[in-house]
Amino acid sequence: MSWRAEIEELRRRRQLAEACGGPDAVARHHAAGKLTVRERIDRVLDPGSFREVGKLAGRGAYDKAGNLVKFEPAPYVMGLGKIDGRPVAIGGEDYTIRAGTGFGSDRRKGGQGGFVEDLAYEYRIPLINLIDGTGGTVNTAKRKGYTVVPGYGQDGFERSVDLMGIVPVVSAVMGTTAGGPSARAILAHWSIMVAGAGQIFAAGPPVVERAFGQKLTKEELGGARIAVDTAGTIDNVAEDEEDCFRHIRRFLSYMPTNVWELPPQVACDDPVDRCEDALADLVPRSNRQAYNMKKLVEMVVDNGSAFEIQPTFGRAVITALARMNGKAVGIIANNPMFGGIMDCKAARKQGHFVELCDMFNLPLIFFADVPGLMVGAESEADAILREGVRARYMGLQVCVPVFSVIVRKCYGVAGGSVIDRRGLNFKIAWPSAEWGSLPVEGGVKAAYRREIENAPDPPQREKEIEEELRQLASPFRTAEAFAVEDLIDPRETRPYLCRFIDALQPRLKTQLGPKYKAGVRP
Amino acid sequence: MARIEVKSEITGTVWQVTAKPGDKVQSGDTLVVIESMKMEIPVITEDGGTLQEILVKEKEPVAEGQVVAILEG
Repeated sequence: MSWRAEIEELRRRRQLAEACGGPDAVARHHAAGKLTVRERIDRVLDPGSFREVGKLAGRGAYDKAGNLVKFEPAPYVMGLGKIDGRPVAIGGEDYTIRAGTGFGSDRRKGGQGGFVEDLAYEYRIPLINLIDGTGGTVNTAKRKGYTVVPGYGQDGFERSVDLMGIVPVVSAVMGTTAGGPSARAILAHWSIMVAGAGQIFAAGPPVVERAFGQKLTKEELGGARIAVDTAGTIDNVAEDEEDCFRHIRRFLSYMPTNVWELPPQVACDDPVDRCEDALADLVPRSNRQAYNMKKLVEMVVDNGSAFEIQPTFGRAVITALARMNGKAVGIIANNPMFGGIMDCKAARKQGHFVELCDMFNLPLIFFADVPGLMVGAESEADAILREGVRARYMGLQVCVPVFSVIVRKCYGVAGGSVIDRRGLNFKIAWPSAEWGSLPVEGGVKAAYRREIENAPDPPQREKEIEEELRQLASPFRTAEAFAVEDLIDPRETRPYLCRFIDALQPRLKTQLGPKYKAGVRP
Repeated sequence: MARIEVKSEITGTVWQVTAKPGDKVQSGDTLVVIESMKMEIPVITEDGGTLQEILVKEKEPVAEGQVVAILEG
């Protein structure tokens, strides 16, 4: 006796699964400039590393003799793979099969809970969601014979939430995404969208038109311009699918496999003692003039290692993953090209990034040039105080070491959110640094109002007071008082930081594991 | 020859116009300086070419994303 007939049947069924939604559906998908989910998975992962799970899941139709005559694969493909040799769980909707909607299986394969999320959770490995599905359909009621409460059945968002505290989760929005899949996309540490092909919204154009009479295209409602640049719903944008896969691999290269491990170290061929001469002249003497903070960051971190997160949203602050002597760090730099001021978007961006780095044990380096919180009626209406204080609250909850390089301005509530008062409180200033509760120019009139008004020449007296205070504001005086830990030649920034980041590695090992944060965020 | 629009990335007031039509400009050159939140923020061209037109004047308000200059590159 042999099982060869069944083994042959297994091979045949696997072949049927690999056909996705059939040649016509696949051709239409390709014609739209999109790869199938199987092609996507193969391209993201290390070549040949995909071990699929649940390939036989789907809907079979049988003749009277019990032979399979028709098979529609489950519209979700998932399994185990490797990226840079490290294991990952990966899955995605198959849009070529009923636009990737559910198929009523005994157990979900993924997309919202399901096996792939359990795999990431139980094995403590990163999860990659390749999202290309439109969510629920009213047809479910017809199939089931009854309607369901949202989040029904064994698989909801519970596991997705658990994952956020233990392993890196990446979402890629690769098609039009609404409802459940769009919510799933947000439950990630980092997300990316393919320009033109990806859109994300709570509900699509027909629903919006019915609700408000507004006629909008998918792109106008949830394309990269809205979802990435304006709202920050999704973090980064990719030019095309290949670019998206490169980005995913790159993001994960900075991440540990889980919170019980440190991020991988890479060999660094950039000299630790590299001192860029241009740093000495980069900051203009006039504190009104902007300069290129991105260039500054690039000159300090390992050559080519800066990977910007949310580069087009909340641009008053730059957030980037990078490496110092091969060790992953998080960079937060105020961007003077946008005033460096903390507005609501910058505050949200900073808070989220700080939390991401803390979760995965990446030390933080702030390059501070922040004049304060964004002022004005519009900003107050957007709750700048709440957003700004929340960013500060999140900063005060971190366990990772923090370095604050004070490049120029560091004022007020926003200035406090770039300083680590819980740890070493390690503040490293450049000679261009200035700090305080508020800038001298704005503060003199308020603090010395009576003295100025009673002076024989009030404008002259105001100027004199400003000058007296400015002299006291020299960073050398603060360094004398050891109220900043160091005042350094800007060119020394890289060697200085590398030395301490090398030295703190053993400490990072002592704080591994999930981080429970008590309290209610303001 | 392509028509290139150079946009302000920030809302503010035009502080200085530092280039004039006919100027040959290179990537990285400042065309206009915007004053915003007490900062002088340059509008820099990412492309080289010949400046065709400056669409703003000093002291005029400028919105984020507004085209401030046209190049032919």
